[in-house]
Amino acid sequence: MKKGLLSVLAVAAVAALVGTPAFGQAKKVKIATEGAYAPWNFTDPSGKLAGFEVDLANDLCKRMNAQCEIVAQDWDGIIPALNAGKYDAIMAGMSITDKRKEVINFSTPYAATPAQFVVLKSSPLTKALPLDTKVYSLKTMTPETQKAIDAVKAAFKGKIVGVQVSTTHANFLETYLKGIAEVRPYKTTEQHDLDLTAGRIDAALASQAYWKPMLDKPEGKDMTIVGPGFVGGLFGTGVGVGIRKADAQLLSEFDKAIVAAGKDGTIQNLSMKWFKFNVTPQE
Amino acid sequence: MELLSWGDKGWGDELFFATLMTLAVATAAFLLGLVFGSLGAAAKLSRHGWLRAIADGYTTIMRGVPDLLVIYLFYFGGSALVTYVANKWLGTSGFVGINAFTIGALAIAILSGAYSTEVIRGAVLAIPKGEIEAARAVGMSRLLLFRRILAPQALRYALPGLGNVWQLALKETALISVTGLVEIMRQSTIAAGSTKKPFTFYAAAAVLYLVLTTLSTYAFQRAEDRSMRGMRRA
Repeated sequence: MKKGLLSVLAVAAVAALVGTPAFGQAKKVKIATEGAYAPWNFTDPSGKLAGFEVDLANDLCKRMNAQCEIVAQDWDGIIPALNAGKYDAIMAGMSITDKRKEVINFSTPYAATPAQFVVLKSSPLTKALPLDTKVYSLKTMTPETQKAIDAVKAAFKGKIVGVQVSTTHANFLETYLKGIAEVRPYKTTEQHDLDLTAGRIDAALASQAYWKPMLDKPEGKDMTIVGPGFVGGLFGTGVGVGIRKADAQLLSEFDKAIVAAGKDGTIQNLSMKWFKFNVTPQE
Repeated sequence: MELLSWGDKGWGDELFFATLMTLAVATAAFLLGLVFGSLGAAAKLSRHGWLRAIADGYTTIMRGVPDLLVIYLFYFGGSALVTYVANKWLGTSGFVGINAFTIGALAIAILSGAYSTEVIRGAVLAIPKGEIEAARAVGMSRLLLFRRILAPQALRYALPGLGNVWQLALKETALISVTGLVEIMRQSTIAAGSTKKPFTFYAAAAVLYLVLTTLSTYAFQRAEDRSMRGMRRA
């Protein structure tokens, strides 16, 4: 609430400084979000939109010198309404996937939540594979990334790792841990959590965005994150701004603004504020 | 419980206004649906084959297609059409939208109109033919016959069925949440997602719908009793 007010004031202040002519020329961009996916974007009890993407959208708009309006739209129909022209962009925690790319374009990603392993706090794996806060990109196999993968391979030798079936995380295990650890597929992430707590598996792999809130719940009090986080490569590119295919101009402006916001640490600051960890895409 | 309180700290006021919105959409849709239903019933009982065919097509399609699909068609197709027309003939440029309330109420009105058509048609057919013939025999004009004989009796027969149509309309408003209109369903989704307390808010929504439907059941019961006054009870 305070934050929303502050950002409104900030925009007003900028408008006053820049002067009305320049601001008058600023183009209007309407951005849709879901407003029900905390902490990415949500509505506070006074009815105001807030969250990581709302703050980021305001920042990006300043960089693009655009006058932005953020509207809430139900998740069902968020893409058709973009194509119908109801608004110009989507920032709603939407992962960039090939299937979505068939109907809309995506900007360069502004967030990528790394895949991470979780074990029980009592497990010897907490010592064998200590938490490594660095996130490694699989896009290019640097010696550093290779080292991180080797550490994972060594620690999980002969262990059982649970993962949700047909996810990018399952692909990762199939690719890098096949023949080393036993990969046990589950229908949902909740199911591998139950088996992890019961001691039927030694570890589980899922997105950090899933783990963080999970570990704060009573069910997750005995679990902890170990080892390094991975992004890129077979994990896809992350979360981006959805834009109509015809809007090439807007797409390149968003791209520029996102790259700038990533370089000067804005995305990192906002993500520490909302997620308590860094979601800035690595390269 | 603080979650459901009034004011800036809780969701009570948001849910209350969402309930009013649900009621407003449902009422607008139901009343407009009654107009469509009366026209539809008149067409179905018409002597002209082409009118009957149109009304048959209307009820067959609208009762046979999922409601959500009709809402999508109206919402996305409708705005695409309006945008096209406005850009072509009215000299506007860019997107022209119809607001979610109008679209939602219209979509549900057309759906509930199809059900109302059948209810009203059945009610008219339930009036003994002899009464109509008798009215004609004493020289009533068509308008007078409608006002004195047809309408009051048909309404009585139609009331229980229309009560059903109203309840359907009330519940179908939940589907309009896809357009972003903040009624009970959308508001509880927002609150559930924002607080990560889905059970609390979906339960609250269920209670709100139940309050609305229970009150309307009671209201229709009263209306039925009133319309049956002067009738002998079996």
